[in-house]
Amino acid sequence: MSQDDLKLFKEFAGQNGDYYADKFLQIQKSILPRTHINYAALLGSFVWAGLRGNWLLFTIGFVIDLVAMVNLALFFKYAEKASEYIGQDDKIYLLDRYDGWSSNHLLMAVLTFVLGRILFAWFADRFYANQYARWRTDEKTPSSFVLSRLVIVAVVSALILPLTIYRSTQFVPEQRACIKQDRLIESGEQVPFKDRFNCAVMGEFPTLIWIDRPDTINYRKDDSGQYVEIRTPAREGAPPFNLNKYMSQTIDDGIQYATIFYGSIFDQITAFLNSMLNAIEAVFVGTPWPVTMLVLVFIAYKMAGRRTAIFAAASLFYLAIFDFWQTAMDTMSLVVASTIICTIVGLPLGIWVGKSDRGNSITTPILDVMQTIPSFVYLLPAIAFFSIGKPPAILATVIFAMPPMVRLTALGIKHVPENTKEAALAFGANPRQLLTKVELPLALPSIMAGMNQVVMMSLAMVVIAAFIGAGGMGFIVVEALNNAETGRGLLAGFGIALLAMMIDSVVQKANKIRD
Amino acid sequence: MSIDESDRRSDVVVCNNVWKIFGARASEAMEAVKKDNLSKAEVLERFEYVVGVRDVSINVGEGEVFCIMGLSGSGKSTLVRHINRLIEPTHGEILINGTNVGGLGAEDLREMRANQIGMVFQNMALLPHRTVRDNIAFSLELRNVDAFTRSEIADKMIGLVSLQGYGDRLPADLSGGMQQRVGLARAMAADPDILLMDEPFSALDPLIRRGLQDEFLDLSKTMKKTTLFITHDLDEAIRMGSRIAIMKDGEIVQIGTPEKIVTEPADDYVADFVAGISKLKLIFAHTVMQPVEQYEKEVKKLPALDKCPQATPDDDLDTLVGVSVGQDNPIVIMSDSKPVGIVTKDALLRGIQGEV
Ligand SMILES: Nc1ncnc2c1ncn2[C@@H]1O[C@H](COP(=O)(O)OP(=O)(O)O)[C@@H](O)[C@H]1O
Ligand SMILES: [Mg+2]
Repeated sequence: MSQDDLKLFKEFAGQNGDYYADKFLQIQKSILPRTHINYAALLGSFVWAGLRGNWLLFTIGFVIDLVAMVNLALFFKYAEKASEYIGQDDKIYLLDRYDGWSSNHLLMAVLTFVLGRILFAWFADRFYANQYARWRTDEKTPSSFVLSRLVIVAVVSALILPLTIYRSTQFVPEQRACIKQDRLIESGEQVPFKDRFNCAVMGEFPTLIWIDRPDTINYRKDDSGQYVEIRTPAREGAPPFNLNKYMSQTIDDGIQYATIFYGSIFDQITAFLNSMLNAIEAVFVGTPWPVTMLVLVFIAYKMAGRRTAIFAAASLFYLAIFDFWQTAMDTMSLVVASTIICTIVGLPLGIWVGKSDRGNSITTPILDVMQTIPSFVYLLPAIAFFSIGKPPAILATVIFAMPPMVRLTALGIKHVPENTKEAALAFGANPRQLLTKVELPLALPSIMAGMNQVVMMSLAMVVIAAFIGAGGMGFIVVEALNNAETGRGLLAGFGIALLAMMIDSVVQKANKIRD
Repeated sequence: MSIDESDRRSDVVVCNNVWKIFGARASEAMEAVKKDNLSKAEVLERFEYVVGVRDVSINVGEGEVFCIMGLSGSGKSTLVRHINRLIEPTHGEILINGTNVGGLGAEDLREMRANQIGMVFQNMALLPHRTVRDNIAFSLELRNVDAFTRSEIADKMIGLVSLQGYGDRLPADLSGGMQQRVGLARAMAADPDILLMDEPFSALDPLIRRGLQDEFLDLSKTMKKTTLFITHDLDEAIRMGSRIAIMKDGEIVQIGTPEKIVTEPADDYVADFVAGISKLKLIFAHTVMQPVEQYEKEVKKLPALDKCPQATPDDDLDTLVGVSVGQDNPIVIMSDSKPVGIVTKDALLRGIQGEV
């Protein structure tokens, strides 16, 4: 170790440079004793870390001390509560409970403080050495011992410590009590500051926005058959709405308006979905079961080989023997219908996203949202616009299952090598030929992966859509949940799993074989 | 290099003052570059634009193999991509058989790319999901030629590049050299007048590269296609090219025959390239010989002609070395059975060093 390094160590550490230079040297040589701890850090904890500019250690030390202090406060809170019940023989169980809680918190407080501090002091020099390494490569990394950092430490502590500790010495006010308190304040009565403070700062975020109740809107057919709007003003003195209630009401009004005045559009969509579904059901449900079963197994054999075909046959046999055949075929029809729609809509969309930057920037956030919303939330708008039944189930499924189709198509298109496209252009390809003869064929594996995901997600969603009347295997599960028929529900659940594994292995094997 | 008007008319590819600057406001940048004579590095620093091609004018005659040579990043690929307008010039015009490429409409441009220009790429850029035959017939398919004619032509091409029996294979089954033959066959399938070859052999092993170079030279002798051949390897340029253009930072620093480039490098940059090149096949007797009278005045009377080794003015140094071995007398260069010059052993040795 050269003299320069030692000088750098000292320059970095500032105050107490010799000590840290010595420790860093030991760390670099891997001869730091296992039990070494930094006594300054043991005593100073987060203040030490703050002064040294190590904000990671600062956070760790701060949290350790905060947890210890909160536990201490809880100890006092429950000890005081317990003392209220001393001598009341009929409340002896409450005394025991609060006594137990308070001694638990005391133990936690002591343990956290002692162990936490020791751990902190053990990590201190080791983390500090890391900070030194960062400082060597990035001179903006905080270094040395700077007193003005005390200001940051003080501000952070002042912001967090008092309120948190106060919160743990108090019992959280009930929401009802706070609402009552609001009314009292409105009617001009005096409420102690402490109660107001507790309501405002603890528990629920205070309601900042109050909005007058909007009119209730209904529609009625008049004599000429036209819908007329009937507005009913809110009852005098009815309490105002908060933002949540107001927005919910507005959305409901909008949906009501759309379904009444644009109902024919939704009816047409429903009719279209119904006729499509009928055609598909004619194949799956309308065909005698031996034919359907044989054809399905044959398709599995052709697409994915013998082993998968045997598995498919066994799965289908399970469904048949447990009386799930018709229901399973219902479910299959829904999955096929959704997959077809997802492909017809998702493929062009994916191509657009893959080729245009604007398409990409428009759709990416929408797809992100679509994929993060929990699946059953999609059932709500479907019901709102299309009532219950299979068409809304298909729509909800399509919306839920489409993102991977768009994403993976776009991904496939984007990953077509530039020079392959360039070669096609150099030989005189027009945009359509470029798409059909180069981009789509090269993107096909990715598109097929998208299809696979669409099928699997459709199956998952179709089961959930049983809640809004999609029927099929999911309905049996929903029914079983309602009637506590555990056995029947499990059998159906296993059937759904078999269906999923069957479809998945056929599609995946088919992709592999084609490659 | 001077070319008169009558010559120019037979040029198949002509580029006049072509500029390409990559950047949003390229024209403005170009004016600034012209005015202040900025270098490529200065443009990059000042505008954050890249100068791809800088004021390049070339003309390539019918059937010529015109080599474009330069280090990586010197703008070779950018230049040839102007010829089939895969890249639009910032300034300048490109003529193909007298037609201004920049004035073509979208459909005419595709027509010209499909019929008149074939292109071969360094990384082959074959379509992995198509068989060799379908890859070769790709340009025909784009022009809606029927399947039967397509496969007939493709099979002929397969024979031409000696890939018999591989027509139904996928590109991935073929070695690099074979893939590039497919690339070559694909470029020639539509029987274009012009071949653009962007470092076609650079990614191949030296031995395979040699073989393909020879094969291509044979083909090009029989097919007589006007070829722009890009390479970063001077040896290859010298082997393939009837003329060579040397590029640096987007500019052409020298155009000339291989011999001219080797014997009279225009600047240090070219000289550096040339330094390691064997001159044996590039320098000819007429360049190293001295007149008979000068020899007789400076050295001594010429011995009897039949005692001297003899050669013609167009023999290269390699041949001269061959005839001179074991002889004491200087080589007499004969033209029309008359002595026109003398090559002494010293002159021969100097010639091999490239100093003439
Ligand atoms: N599309 C582009 N956008 C910006 N700069 C480019 C682009 N294509 C090429 N260039 C730049 O132009 C210069 C010439 O590139 P290129 O013609 O590919 O060189 P070469 O083929 O001689 O290796 C390089 O500096 C390269 O970075
Ligand atoms: Mg290149």
